[in-house]
Amino acid sequence: MTSRTRLFAAAAVILYAGAFALSLTLRSAMPRGEEATDVGRIVSAKVDKTVAVRTTEDVAAAIRDARREGRKVSVAGTRHSMGGQTFYEGAVVLDMRRYDRILDLDAEAKKITVQSGATWEQIQEAINPQHLSIRVMQSQNIFTVGGSLGTNIHGRDPSEGSLIETVESFRLMTEEGKILTASRRENADLFRAAIGGYGLLGVILDATLLLTDDEVYTQHMSLLDYKKFPDALRASVESGRTGLVIARISTAPSGFLRDMYMTEYMDSSIPLAEADTGLKGERAVELTRFVFGLQRKYGWGKNMSWSLQERLFRSTEGKSITRNNAMRPESGFLEYRDAQKSDLLQEYFVPLDQYPAFVDGLRTLLREEPINLVNITVRYMPRSEESLLAYSRQDSAAVVLLINEKRSPARLERLKSVTQKMIGLAEQVGGTYYLTYQPFASKEQFRAAYPAADEFKAAKLDYDKESLFVNEWYADYLR
Amino acid sequence: MRAVAMRYVMLSQNVMTLGSGIVFPFYLISIKEIGGDFTQYGIAYGLFTICSAYLNGYFGRSSDRFGRKPFLLLGSWGMAALFLLFPLVTSMWQVYALQVAMGVFGAMQRTCEKALLADLTEEGRRGEQIGRYHMGLSLFSGLAVIAGGFLVDYFTLDLIFYFGSVLLFASGLVLLRVQEKPGTPGMET
Repeated sequence: MTSRTRLFAAAAVILYAGAFALSLTLRSAMPRGEEATDVGRIVSAKVDKTVAVRTTEDVAAAIRDARREGRKVSVAGTRHSMGGQTFYEGAVVLDMRRYDRILDLDAEAKKITVQSGATWEQIQEAINPQHLSIRVMQSQNIFTVGGSLGTNIHGRDPSEGSLIETVESFRLMTEEGKILTASRRENADLFRAAIGGYGLLGVILDATLLLTDDEVYTQHMSLLDYKKFPDALRASVESGRTGLVIARISTAPSGFLRDMYMTEYMDSSIPLAEADTGLKGERAVELTRFVFGLQRKYGWGKNMSWSLQERLFRSTEGKSITRNNAMRPESGFLEYRDAQKSDLLQEYFVPLDQYPAFVDGLRTLLREEPINLVNITVRYMPRSEESLLAYSRQDSAAVVLLINEKRSPARLERLKSVTQKMIGLAEQVGGTYYLTYQPFASKEQFRAAYPAADEFKAAKLDYDKESLFVNEWYADYLR
Repeated sequence: MRAVAMRYVMLSQNVMTLGSGIVFPFYLISIKEIGGDFTQYGIAYGLFTICSAYLNGYFGRSSDRFGRKPFLLLGSWGMAALFLLFPLVTSMWQVYALQVAMGVFGAMQRTCEKALLADLTEEGRRGEQIGRYHMGLSLFSGLAVIAGGFLVDYFTLDLIFYFGSVLLFASGLVLLRVQEKPGTPGMET
C-alpha cells in the first residue's frame, strides 16, 4: 500500500467512526419502542418494550422498572382481544405466555391452580387423564387463562354463566408489587372488578378454577328457522340434558339471517370408561382453511360452506364424543394473516326472546349497508352479573359475528358506523355488546351497556392509585 | 500479481457478503415494526431492484473508464453508511428512500464485482477461478444468514444493522489493498 492509500484509509476510518458514533447517539436519543397490535390489527401502538415474563419476580421487576421510568404497564396473553386491551402507547407490555405452570391439581376437590399464562389446552392435557373437564372456556382452547379472566369470557355450556363463576380465587400483583388474594370472601371488590377488568387492576398471577367431570355426549343437530330458535334453545337448556350447545345462523345469500342449525351435545348414558377419552388433534386443517377462505370471499362460497357444514354436522348425528374433545374444536383454520384485511369479531348479547327482533333488525340494516359477514354463531348465555363489567344481565342469546374487512381508514370508518347501528339494535331490545372487540361503540353506548362503568373505574383507582395499569381501550372509554 | 489481487478481492467481497447477508433476509422485519404490510414489503423490495436495474449499465460503462475499485469502494462504504441510517428510520417513506439509495450502491457493487472478476481471471481457467470465488462467497452468505437470525433473535434488529455496517466498511478497507490501473487488465498489489 502506498502512503497515499494509507492516508486515505485513515481518513475513511475516522469519518466512518464519526458517522457510526453519530448514528448510535441519535438512536439512543430516540424513544425506544416497538409496534404492538393484536389479532384484529386495527388498533396498534408504539410500546416501550415487551417483557416476556417467566417468574413472579419478573413481574415484580417489570413493575418496579416501569414505575421508576414513569411508564405505564399493559398485560397481554395471546392478544386475541381486538380493541387495544393488551398495549398502550409508550407502555411496558407484560407478555404472560411463558408464565404458564400448572401449580396444583386437586382431582378430589375438582380444582386446578394455574399460572395466568397457561392455556386451556395445557389444562385439558393435565386434567383429561383425571377424567375432569373445564367448566367454562371459549370455543377454542388456544387462549391463556389470564387473558380469559381479563375478558371474563363465556362458553357453550348452557348451565354455566361466564368464567367468573368458575373461579374460586386468584392472586394479583398490584402497582406496588404487593400480592393480593381475591375471592368471594377476601377482597371481594377486587374479585368482581379484575375478572372482566382487562388487566387494569394489576397482574393476575395465578387462579384456582373449579372443574367438572368429563362426560360422554351424543351429538344432535337440528335445522330450524330463526324465529323458532328461542323456544328450541330454551327447551334444550331446560331439558337439563344439554352439556354444550352452539348454533349458527346463515350468512349465505340463500338463507341470509334466516336459516339456522343448532348442534347439541347431549348427556349420553355411555360411561366414560367405554368411550374414547384420548384428546384429539386437529384434522384436515388445510381443507377447512380453504373452504373458509372461499366463504370469506364469495357469496357462492358462503352458500357452499353452509351446505357443507350442514352435511358435516349431519354426518356426526348421534355420534358420541367426550366433553373434553367437544371443547377443543379446530381453530387452526381460523388463523388469518392477510396483508390488508382482518377477520374481526363482534359479539352481541340480546335477551333470548328478543333474538328474532334483533335478527330482523340486523337483516334490514345489513341489506342497506352490507358488510362481509363470514360467519355467525349463537350461544346461550344465562344471566351472569357477578363481574362489575358484566355483559349478560339476563338470559341471553350471545351472537358472535365474524366480519372480514379491509383495514383501510375509509372501510374501518364505515364499519364503525355500521357497528354503532348494530349496538343500537342490541340496546334497543335491552341487550349489550362485548367490550373485548373493536373500540367502535360510542361512549354513550358504552355507558348504556355497562352502567357499572364508574364503579369499575373507582375500584381500579382504589387498587391502582397511580394508574400504572393502562391500555388503549381504557384510554378510549374510561379515562 | 493477479492472483494476489484476486485474493484480496475475494476477502473483501466475502466480508461484504457477510455484512450484507446478516442484514438482508431480516431487515424487512424493521418495516413490519414500523407498521408496514406485505404490500409495502413488495414496494420496498421492488424499488431496490428497479433502481439498480437502470444503473447497472451506467456503472458498468463508467467502471470501464475509471476502474472497478472506486465503484466497489463506494458501493460498500455507501451501503455501510446506509446501514447506519436504518436504526433511525421512523416512517415508511424513509424506508423507501433508503431502498432507492441502496439500489444505487447495490448496482455499483454487483456490476463492478462481476467485471472485476472477469478482469482478474485468466482465459482457460476462468471457470475454475470463478467457481472458487463463488464457493467462498456462498459459504459466507450462508454463515451470515445463520448469524443474522441469531443476532435478531437474541439481540435487537438495530444490532444487525450496526454489525453489518462495520463489516461492510471493513470490506472496503480490504479493497484498498487492491491496486488497479484503469484500462489495464492486469492489476498489482
